[in-house]
Amino acid sequence: MKRPAVVFGLCIVAVAVVAFAIRLPRLAQRPMHPDEANEAARAGILFDTGQYRYDPKDHHGPSLYYLTLPSLEASGAARFADTTESDYRIVPVLFGVGLVLLLALAGDGLGRPAAVVAGILAAISPAMVFYSRYYIQETLLVFFTLAAVVSAWRYVRSGRTGWAVAAGLAFGLMVATKETWVLAAAAMIVAVVLTALWGRWREGGQAPERPRLSPWPLALAVAVAVVVAAVLYSSFGTNPTGLWDSVRAYGSYAEKAGGELHRHPWYFYLSMLVLDRPARGFVWSEGLIVGLAVVGLVAALTRKGAGGGDRALLRFLGFYTVALTTLYAAIPYKTPWCALGFLHGMTLMAGVGAVTLVRWMPAAWAKVAVGVALAALAAHLGWESYRLNFRLYADQRNPYVYAHASTDVLNLARHVDRLAEASPAGRDILVKVISSENPWPLPWYLRKFDRVGWWRIGAPDLPAGQAGGSDAARGWYAAVPDDPDADVVIATTDLQAELDNRLRGSYNKQAIYGLRPGVLMMVYVDERLWDAFLLQQAGPTTAPGEASGLP
Amino acid sequence: MIDKAFLAIAIVVTVIVVGLTFFAAVAIQATPEASTKEGAAPAPKDSPAEAVKAAPAEAPKAPATPKDQAAPKAPAAAPKESPAPAAGGEKLVPLAVQLPKPLFEGTPKNIKPAPTLEKPSVRPPFMVPEGLTNLALGKPVTSSDSEPIIGDLAMVTDGDKTGSDGSFVELGPGKQHVQIDLQQPALIYAIVVWHYHSEGRVYHDVIVQVADDADFVQGVRTLYNNDFDNSSGLGLGKDLEYMDDYRGRLIDAKGVKARYVRVYSNGNTSNDQNHYVEVEVYGKAPK
Repeated sequence: MKRPAVVFGLCIVAVAVVAFAIRLPRLAQRPMHPDEANEAARAGILFDTGQYRYDPKDHHGPSLYYLTLPSLEASGAARFADTTESDYRIVPVLFGVGLVLLLALAGDGLGRPAAVVAGILAAISPAMVFYSRYYIQETLLVFFTLAAVVSAWRYVRSGRTGWAVAAGLAFGLMVATKETWVLAAAAMIVAVVLTALWGRWREGGQAPERPRLSPWPLALAVAVAVVVAAVLYSSFGTNPTGLWDSVRAYGSYAEKAGGELHRHPWYFYLSMLVLDRPARGFVWSEGLIVGLAVVGLVAALTRKGAGGGDRALLRFLGFYTVALTTLYAAIPYKTPWCALGFLHGMTLMAGVGAVTLVRWMPAAWAKVAVGVALAALAAHLGWESYRLNFRLYADQRNPYVYAHASTDVLNLARHVDRLAEASPAGRDILVKVISSENPWPLPWYLRKFDRVGWWRIGAPDLPAGQAGGSDAARGWYAAVPDDPDADVVIATTDLQAELDNRLRGSYNKQAIYGLRPGVLMMVYVDERLWDAFLLQQAGPTTAPGEASGLP
Repeated sequence: MIDKAFLAIAIVVTVIVVGLTFFAAVAIQATPEASTKEGAAPAPKDSPAEAVKAAPAEAPKAPATPKDQAAPKAPAAAPKESPAPAAGGEKLVPLAVQLPKPLFEGTPKNIKPAPTLEKPSVRPPFMVPEGLTNLALGKPVTSSDSEPIIGDLAMVTDGDKTGSDGSFVELGPGKQHVQIDLQQPALIYAIVVWHYHSEGRVYHDVIVQVADDADFVQGVRTLYNNDFDNSSGLGLGKDLEYMDDYRGRLIDAKGVKARYVRVYSNGNTSNDQNHYVEVEVYGKAPK
């Protein structure tokens, strides 16, 4: 009896190692998404000052920042400016691997073979890998959600108070991670009700095992969840208003959910996962997971082929996944990473579906054939994952690349670094960034420069000419400055005429870089600095007049 | 009885799920095709030709110093009227370049075009000797990237300038070049390069060279270079970066004599890759 459990444990560990190996390489390769840069800056403030205040309008819950602190401490960085992309992205990587490891607690719930297959699919799924290398809250939310479900299920089975406390802890962390926990919670409630109704209908109310529920462990679980969320939202008691802000936030997020920004049709996620054809020659699909999840759902409901899993848990997961998918499809506001919650539910059901398909086969040769076919499809999924995560990691033809920074932003950052190297002032050169577009992730790439001024033109929440905005670390100004002169001026191209009128100095204006596709930044360099820069460059100069071009 | 009822429900649920999936698949399939219809129509035979009017008799303006020019307005910074080739007594006519339809009109996916993109406009006439043809059409193309990500190298000289999917070759990241063998030395007066014009992009380190040999050792001449920081290692360029559009970039070759044409680029403002819709080389056989 113990040997299968050991083998199962070893399998899960092996899959987790594979998941880690897939997620870890080249963590710094992809440019920071504006959201990632924003989150890193928030974590940086906490790292530098020890202070955090929950922002009810943006940035989501506090758990990400606090859970990043160990990584930043371990990195050896003395301050935010010294930290690197990897110091932040390692956090979701670890939670992404944790999603696989958590399955060790669900072997008797999903059925051990199904749990291993689910782990494999979670390890190689292109979306799961992509957003496990993305410094946002999503992977953490999915991890805490699974932890809450598994712990609650183990409590229901065993009646042990420890599992109830674990469920409360995980639930509290869900709440403290991202406001969309309410969707997961709503889906859970729907799933519990439907599971009970389905069981009553199918089994005539004769549950195979009576749930072991008692009031005190449940009360303790609720108390733990509330305390954990309250401690984090109040910044460990230093910001009590954070508690009220965490409630107020739902008004602002409800407004966002129905707003015009990131509005997509109901089938946005399904089409993204099932079949995405962004351009000729590019076809992406996680249809294997979606298709197997449907099989798993049918098996869970019919009990035909689901094998050794707990039928109540399987049905709960099936209903939960369908409910969560429906909720996200119904909300107009959609970004690709929001799919992670129900996609992970699909991977769990897909594990069940894969095992079911094999069991449905009447003959041994047919089972082998199905197994081989599934393995081949999984291999293709892994190939897609490689392409999307390590080749087209910032390409618009990658369905998970959304409002992303261009790779050219790395060239821009490198250019400013080289200019600083050419200046006697080094990184004390004066840089002014004047942008009519959201300038993130530029603040991340200029984090080592202390003398940077930011002008965000046209942002509705910034009073003209006044410092303000939601960034507490640096002041933002809302009008083109009267005196825009600086060693380096970085501006969006639409501001060129106004900028040129106000500049008094002489500048080299040759460089344009892409911040995001369609958002271009001019880099003006003070002529004296430019001359110093040119002196540093090796190689012959193409003689003036030798080269010429017409538009 | 219950089994049958359940089976019926299961079938209905499965059909719904499969139906939704199919619908989603159809929807996503339909999108690119629809956009193709709108934005990627093949170049009509009667597509607008540039420079149909005779050139005004205004003397060419000296190019301004790049430092004084704003990069996004590079086209405006170029001489309004190109210098006439120094061919004594030779009759000059406007170079007629067949232009594809502008593609950069829609907003694909979540891409937001910059509000300052140059408005498509007619390029001023570029005066060249009579009788020039596109010598590059159908000529062999080689590249630093022998295995393009998308498309094939023949697309560079196939005459298809539409810019839609299937009309460009995509080379790998970083510095790359395409090279056209004109198959015999020729007098080259103009080279027109289309990188990618279905989205507003600036291609970095655009360098155009001609040479007498395929290895670019003998008689190498640089006709255009906007590598302002020598990041491609071919020398600092004084030319300006520019926004690629349906007009392509017309480069004055001044009647240089050469057999091979090489066009470099080093990624673009949207990604690391290098795209080539078409390269045209206007010239004629030497006397």
